[in-house]
Amino acid sequence: MKIVVPVKQVAALDDECELLGDGSGVDPDGLEWELNEWDTFSLEAALALREAAGEGEVVAITVGDEEAEEGLLSALAKGADRGLRIWDDELAGAAPDALAVARVLAAAVGRESPDLVLCGVQSSDAVNSATGVALAGHLGLAHVAVVKGLERDGSALTVERELEGGLVERLRVALPALLTIQTGINEPRYATLRAIKQARQKPLELQTLADLGLDGAQVASASGSRRRRLAPPDRGGGAEMLDGSIAEVAARIASLVKERLG
Amino acid sequence: MAGILVLAEARRGELREVSFELIGAALELKPYAGDRLVVALLDAGAPGHAAALAADGVDEVLTVTVPVAQFEAHVAGRALEALIEQEAPELVIAAHSIDALGFAPAVAASQGLGFASDVTGLGWDDGGPVAMRGAYGDKLIAEYDFPGKSCTLLLLRAGTFAAVDAGPGSAPARAVELELSELARTEHLGYEEVAEGDVDITKADFLLSIGRGIEEQDNIAQFKELAQRFGATLSVSRPLVDAGWMPGARQVGQSGKTVKPRVYLALGISGAVQHLAGMRTAETIIAVNTDPEAPIFSVAHYGAVVDMFELADELEQALG
Amino acid sequence: MARDPKHDILFEPIQIGPKTLRNRFYQVPHCNGAGSEKPGMQAYNRGMKAEGGWAGVCTEYCSISPESDDTSRVSARIWDEGDVRNLAAMCDRLHDFGALAGIEMWYGGPHAPCMETRATPRGPSQIPSEFEINIHPRHMDEDDIVEVQQMYVDAALRAQEAGFDIVYVYGAHSYLPLQFLSPFYNKRTDRYGGSFENRARFWKECLEKVREAVGDDCAIASRFAVDTLYGSSGIQVGEDGVRFVEYVDELVDLWDLTVGDIAEWGQNAGPSRFFEENHEKPFTGQIKAGDHTNKPVVGVGRITNPDTMVAIIKSGQFDIIGAARPSISDPFLPNKISEGRLDDVRECIGCNQCISRWEIGGPPLVCTQNATAGEEYRRGWHPEKFHPAANRDRGVLVIGAGPAGMECAMVLGKREMAAVHLVEAGKEIGGCVNWISLLGHSDGKENLARGTARGLGEWTRIVNYRQIQLDKLTNVEVHTGSKLSAQDVLDYGAEIVIVATGCHFATDGLNPATHAPIEGADASLDWQLTPDEVVAGTKTIGNRVLVLENEGYFMGASVAQKLAGAGHEVHLLTQMGDIAGYMEYTLEAPMLHRDLHRLGVNIRPYTMLEKIEPGACHAYNVWHEAHKEVFEVDTVVLCTQRQSNDELYRELKSDKRRLQAEGIENVFLIGDASAPRMIVDSIFDGHRLAREIDSPNPAMPLPFIRERRLWGEASNDDYRSQLLNTPDVVVA
Repeated sequence: MKIVVPVKQVAALDDECELLGDGSGVDPDGLEWELNEWDTFSLEAALALREAAGEGEVVAITVGDEEAEEGLLSALAKGADRGLRIWDDELAGAAPDALAVARVLAAAVGRESPDLVLCGVQSSDAVNSATGVALAGHLGLAHVAVVKGLERDGSALTVERELEGGLVERLRVALPALLTIQTGINEPRYATLRAIKQARQKPLELQTLADLGLDGAQVASASGSRRRRLAPPDRGGGAEMLDGSIAEVAARIASLVKERLG
Repeated sequence: MAGILVLAEARRGELREVSFELIGAALELKPYAGDRLVVALLDAGAPGHAAALAADGVDEVLTVTVPVAQFEAHVAGRALEALIEQEAPELVIAAHSIDALGFAPAVAASQGLGFASDVTGLGWDDGGPVAMRGAYGDKLIAEYDFPGKSCTLLLLRAGTFAAVDAGPGSAPARAVELELSELARTEHLGYEEVAEGDVDITKADFLLSIGRGIEEQDNIAQFKELAQRFGATLSVSRPLVDAGWMPGARQVGQSGKTVKPRVYLALGISGAVQHLAGMRTAETIIAVNTDPEAPIFSVAHYGAVVDMFELADELEQALG
Repeated sequence: MARDPKHDILFEPIQIGPKTLRNRFYQVPHCNGAGSEKPGMQAYNRGMKAEGGWAGVCTEYCSISPESDDTSRVSARIWDEGDVRNLAAMCDRLHDFGALAGIEMWYGGPHAPCMETRATPRGPSQIPSEFEINIHPRHMDEDDIVEVQQMYVDAALRAQEAGFDIVYVYGAHSYLPLQFLSPFYNKRTDRYGGSFENRARFWKECLEKVREAVGDDCAIASRFAVDTLYGSSGIQVGEDGVRFVEYVDELVDLWDLTVGDIAEWGQNAGPSRFFEENHEKPFTGQIKAGDHTNKPVVGVGRITNPDTMVAIIKSGQFDIIGAARPSISDPFLPNKISEGRLDDVRECIGCNQCISRWEIGGPPLVCTQNATAGEEYRRGWHPEKFHPAANRDRGVLVIGAGPAGMECAMVLGKREMAAVHLVEAGKEIGGCVNWISLLGHSDGKENLARGTARGLGEWTRIVNYRQIQLDKLTNVEVHTGSKLSAQDVLDYGAEIVIVATGCHFATDGLNPATHAPIEGADASLDWQLTPDEVVAGTKTIGNRVLVLENEGYFMGASVAQKLAGAGHEVHLLTQMGDIAGYMEYTLEAPMLHRDLHRLGVNIRPYTMLEKIEPGACHAYNVWHEAHKEVFEVDTVVLCTQRQSNDELYRELKSDKRRLQAEGIENVFLIGDASAPRMIVDSIFDGHRLAREIDSPNPAMPLPFIRERRLWGEASNDDYRSQLLNTPDVVVA
């Protein structure tokens, strides 16, 4: 069984992070990088399936610059068999959005012809929650999003979908398929120092768009949006203070809560 | 090519409240987007929803018959594609919900649509929609537009846009027949309610959080009950854990858990820096404290300087 | 990072007499075991606080005469030029960092046994000290009074010479000036006794004379216990307390306020077990609130939270935030607040280990949270500075994230080891702190004398601080829920392995009294428990419980408190003369005893068990084995002794060739896994190993500077040269 696990090296803003003057982005010095938390769960799910089957290959793929290499090495250290990083100067210029990344991934994943693709539900920096399902759309794969439970059932999977309000739906989906995995589905393993050292010996390839048969224009047209500005959130004047009698305040709070929970 | 298509949502036979927020948001943009607003619902036959969705300002309600009662992502995806083909809207508005996340990005990808998710603000500029959403986990706000896209699909964050009142209004309803059989690629096996078990406050949508203002351990029971009535999960600030009154699993804060619920209702919490670090990115923060200078008011969206016990009594009444 | 503007008020300077404090952070006088005879320790320990931003830093109580000698407890002394020379080192260092130096001039009277000097202490009335053994003072006539007042003046002049900026006439904790003021001590019928003015006369005259001698140059401070908590037999804040402040206000440039006296000064240095932050407010807060003074006031209350500090100043409770223990736990507290680095603050946990070493008499201070306290000079350790380890290209595996493991991993991280993996078998880091911090409660009801058994929740700060620091260290990974076997360790790929696997309570009654197990003791049975099982709640506890406590610290007593508070009938036995002996030193004993007595715990000292049977424990008196007793109980809790969890270590060490083959250079054993000890010592053990991880033989602690008299002529370098081969020494 071949399982592809797309991963992302995500940026966390540290407290000192500054916006670039023109609002076009964030000062890169203020960024700290680490493997997306959701991807540690999807990777673990893949490794567990491989172990249960006693055979198989887990391939970690990422679209990213040199920083992203660390994320792949981390995946290899935890047990992925092979890593593939896709990067290109064309991608460096305009930060590709979820749909553009999905298009690039689709080219690479398509070539792998995996039985299963496990993505994280979202990344902690962009939080689009879209790349995985968009990738399924490009590949025409059966897909289930926000999976919190997973069991192999021959050539199919029984999965649990985490719904709002603590409800869970159980589904069966036949392979090949793509799932987006929710945090808490398992206990991600960690890599020992030896595994970290040995990760560098595992195959880790770098491919450009051309290697995948793509060009910049195709990727640009696959994009779904253009970010035209980045700004600090509107602080406003602090909290909107609720006045009136305690009964009025209580009523207002109750209705605010109802509103906000949808 | 014109107009807005709103994709309403239902689950287990009930219309979801967010549907009315989507209509409300769409109405704001309707004048710019060809002045036509159509609401669609994938309906396995529950009556009355069409009438409810026919709110003021809606031009037409479309009910699409689906082969199975439960949501199925591939069926929904094909239905959306067909609706877009038929109605040719400029803008499609759906919820940033678990169901929509299950198919909307695939449709956007395969159809080459404009796309943005978790949208918290909308506008119109240069003949096209503009969407605002958080960046770096809501630390910043990003603005997006969609040049060159004849149709843009936006997923709106629930609880952010003002809901309209339900219909019935004057909008006619129309049943839409689509060829959707044989499209399902998943099989529904059943639903389960998740048991209480070990509480994980990071997963809660609604946290009711108590702090030092509680004064005595005996007072916790009242707020436990209130949380339950309110449908909230109870969380606490550090002093209550230090005092041994509540387990660390419920602690919000730098040395406890970082939470980002839809609603964070803080009662009697002053807002020490370490506590704020654990909850300041919650979507809606409502703070109640008798001290008007309490630091929590600097991160709260709403505040009230009232006694938490009196408020709790009133809330119990308000909740009925 | 920038300071939060709401904390700006803490950094406003304030005038005290002829001097100016540059901010509102003030280290009130506290003991550190240095005195005048370890000048290096004194200068560097105090200096660290000045470097960390404290505007005023004081000595401990400083004896003004050989008649005031507290041996074996360590006080400072300013008797002669040698003391001036030694204390000047402290003043110079404080001044280098921009802080004012304060000296707390002390005459103890009957509370100072004079075991070294063999002098005779004097006092207002001839009544022996209520807590020293058999020390009577000589009754002071008016000539004595003049003579002793001159001692204050002479001491003040020496203090000025040494460079002190703030000179105290110290009466709090019931030392001489307060002994005159308080009817508890003063039974005189002359003009120094009886009426308020008469009783206040001695102190007032001291202030006048000292002020006249040095007041132009130095700020005159007075430390005053506004309420000695004895009711009308002592000083009460509402009566003589406020009255005295008003009466001598003109003579004082800075009021340093406390409560209580020396017999139970745990009411002032309140342990977190019984007292919350700012616990003295009801008493010391009355002075400014009632407009009884026109002068700046500093007060304490184990204040660690910057927002509390701001509220104290803004509300007018005090003008200056006083701290002893919070400054020991984090000498850099002010700087960290100033820099907005609040998550780097190491908060005091109120365990009073620092105090315990002084109470014992002799040892230098220690601190659970800050392993460098007391080591600034003799080991050259700086709490905020760490030198990159010479062998930092090595990978380290630390097994066990309890106090020792967390501390070791943290310091190794700060010393820039290439990779540190801290692996913990449990779900959370913290080790024994996680369950120990749940103890300390009883029935939730208020105690007889202020304060309630509020539990050891603040001890979780041990974990909070380290968790935050470990998260910040990019070269440290923490993995929980992972129990490593010897094979896992061998396969791990670390060159350095540090085993910190903690300890467990003996299940067979093995104990320090008899050095043997107890017949019938078996904590695997469901009616016998170890203390951790009591906290875990895994076994049912019957109505009648016997707790056997042989360790002498808090465990047995805390278990008894918990179970009695829950309504059980509890017998608490110890072979020693008193239960929880060490808690005398941490000042927790009086409140503990009050609680246990209130709860009806049957306390039985000098009693040991010889046999345990279902339903009956057979005990005997240690002085006379024929004095036997049977306790009919349902449950037995064994707090006899602890034993290291060192199996993993022994297994690893058993095959040295295998270690070599796997590239493991060293396997170390730290904390309770090496030998069960108090948490403060486990943290120290982990810290020391990390500081010395690059010494030739890290398992053996390197020599430290011993400040003893070297025969012949000696220079400072002769002492410092003892430290040359320590890798992590900061060049002063």
